[in-house]
Amino acid sequence: MQPNSKSALAASQPLDRHQKLRRWVRHFWRGLREWSGDAAYDRYLRSSATRAAECPRLTPEEFYLEQLNRRYSRPNRCC
Amino acid sequence: MKRFLTIVTWLAVAVLGAGALGAIAVHRGEPLNAMWFVVAAVCCYLVAFRLYSAFVAARVLVLDDTRATPSERKDDGRDFVPTNKWVLFGHHFAAIAGPGPLVGPTLAAQFGYLPGTLWLIAGAALAGCVQDFIILFCSIRRDGKSLGQMAREEISSRGGFIAQLAVLAIMIILLGVIALVIVNALKASPWATFTLSMTIVIALLLGVYLRFLRPGRVLEASIIGLALVLFAVVAGRWVGESASWSQVFTLSGVALAFALIVYGFIASTLPVWLLLAPRDYLIAFIKAGAFFILAAGILIVRPQILMPPLTRFIDGTGPIFAGRIFPFCFITIACGAISGFHSLISSGTTPKMILRESHARFIGYGAMLLESFVGVMAMVAACSMTPGVYFAINSPASIVGNTPEAAAATISAWGYHLDAHSMTDLARLVGEKTLLNRAGGAPSLAVGMAQIFSNTIGGERLLSIWYHFAIMFEALFVLTVLDGGTRVGRFMVQELGGRLWKPFGRTSWLPGMLISSAAIVGAWGYFLYQGVVDPLGGINSLWPLFGISNQLLAAVALVVATTILLKMGRLRWLWVTLVPMAWLVVVTMTASYQKVFEANPRIGFLSGANQLAVQIAAGSIPAAKIAETQRLMFNLRLDAAVTIVLASMILLMLIEALGQWYAILSRRREATLHESPYVRTQWAPGFSGAAHGDD
Repeated sequence: MQPNSKSALAASQPLDRHQKLRRWVRHFWRGLREWSGDAAYDRYLRSSATRAAECPRLTPEEFYLEQLNRRYSRPNRCC
Repeated sequence: MKRFLTIVTWLAVAVLGAGALGAIAVHRGEPLNAMWFVVAAVCCYLVAFRLYSAFVAARVLVLDDTRATPSERKDDGRDFVPTNKWVLFGHHFAAIAGPGPLVGPTLAAQFGYLPGTLWLIAGAALAGCVQDFIILFCSIRRDGKSLGQMAREEISSRGGFIAQLAVLAIMIILLGVIALVIVNALKASPWATFTLSMTIVIALLLGVYLRFLRPGRVLEASIIGLALVLFAVVAGRWVGESASWSQVFTLSGVALAFALIVYGFIASTLPVWLLLAPRDYLIAFIKAGAFFILAAGILIVRPQILMPPLTRFIDGTGPIFAGRIFPFCFITIACGAISGFHSLISSGTTPKMILRESHARFIGYGAMLLESFVGVMAMVAACSMTPGVYFAINSPASIVGNTPEAAAATISAWGYHLDAHSMTDLARLVGEKTLLNRAGGAPSLAVGMAQIFSNTIGGERLLSIWYHFAIMFEALFVLTVLDGGTRVGRFMVQELGGRLWKPFGRTSWLPGMLISSAAIVGAWGYFLYQGVVDPLGGINSLWPLFGISNQLLAAVALVVATTILLKMGRLRWLWVTLVPMAWLVVVTMTASYQKVFEANPRIGFLSGANQLAVQIAAGSIPAAKIAETQRLMFNLRLDAAVTIVLASMILLMLIEALGQWYAILSRRREATLHESPYVRTQWAPGFSGAAHGDD
């Protein structure tokens, strides 16, 4: 029992590291998509306001144009 | 034990930082290694963040994580979006990091490496970061209201109007000046002009891709665009080497100025999906990549700092811009230490996306520390080239001459050895005909960056590619500010015009759109043109004007922050904003006074104009040049008037605020805060925003 549990523990250690790495990569990828604006439409669909809204949801094209027009009507870049 | 180890670690960081700063300050003789700068900056930032920002968060602002932020209460998936703090840090940093912290320190290297480096570090820790952090906090507590709206509510409606006008005036000056930086980098350079033109074409293609083919697929479009931009950098060499194509892309300063003016007008009126947005996606990755490579390059190459700690030009006789170390070093550094423009971002998008109040410390204070580090890297890049080369690139022809021989003779006579061949060879190595008289900081920074990059990857063989990559990066950076700023300026003009005549305020009304765009472009275009034709290179008069206006806006932001702290009853901690505000008022008022009234014609606008008038009266100006000289006189007087108006705006704002402070302190008026009411957060303590329903 003792040796078996030790080997099981040893086998699980690299797997944990692997899982940690996968988790880190997943977080990084998600962060990159959020930062670049790639995930903006997904966010919009997930927001509670969109889910609860009575008015129809915007299509990806409509959302893309609408968010750009809002973003570029106020200072969004510094000197 | 753990506490003891923590204290020892932080003491070690503090001692290391103090030691490195001391080494930078007292070192004389042999060149210093750039690693001292990196160690000094990083240790000081760590200590400032760990101690000072924690103090501001806990004692001055008393951040409250039980309070729901606007992103929770108003979550609409559009403006108000709860965002992970690391992602928002990236957003915020991308928005605040502009060309200013690259160009300012490069120009301030004229005084030597020491004053600029010390101000970059100390100014950021004690003033710039504090401003960004506190304005962000104030805006979070007011549902993401803008600086102008906060000034109107917390000071007075007059104060709000002054702040709004100040923002518009400052924006016009800043656009004119940064456009001048790019004109001086691109003039007579077919390679650089071609590459920048191609980035516009690439952005248009990406705009169509993102609009019609794959809406919103920003990452894949950015990767395609990035590959095309890098190809354009390489292809620029073929254009530069081709006899016929190089002629097409070889433009004079005046031609480039008009090209930028036309570009600014068209870009600000086109739909944003076509040009502005895709180009911003491109620059985000290029910016992050360039900063990363520069930091890695400095760590790998560890260049020697060849510039002395102090140059002879601290007495105010500098060839790039005239003026003594006080106040002009602080005015010139501007954004790398404290930038008024950041207050517009801190009271814009970021407060609407922040998850918890405590994140404001990391995002507001931390992002500005990173920007200051970019400034320190720019200082290292500028000071790692030989001082003679640095002055040859940045000095106007009227001071050092326009041939390598004349420049070498003049600059060597100042005590900074330069031989004519080294300038010719350097120009050849970076793929340019000449590097002389390119005032503005961009080309010298590009040379410094290219030397660090090429020592990391590629050696001398790739120096020209790296140089043009750096120029493209800086120029693209400026274009994003130029057209985005013109568009925002257009909305401001329409909003102000709409008060007089309603239809003008409708942003979709075509005549209003065209007239307001033309007004904004015409205003900054005028400053650009006067800079291009200025015999002193334009930077001498316009960069200080930009610095003054930027720092004045920071003073406005700190006036608003001080008023809010006073109303919150934080009298004991008022010095946190009051001291940097008082410092900025003293610096900007001194600089404004000197730029208008100083007897030295290279510093004072009025004495410069009077000197030209005397020359005309004495008949020492040829008849053919009299009209041109009279235009120069008009420009100098206009610059004096603009400086006086800017300084007056801030004095008026200060008087408004002082009246408020006196009324509150003497209990003649109740201190009414305009915060949104307290609502308890519904989010669990561990909620990070990364998941938001999908993890």
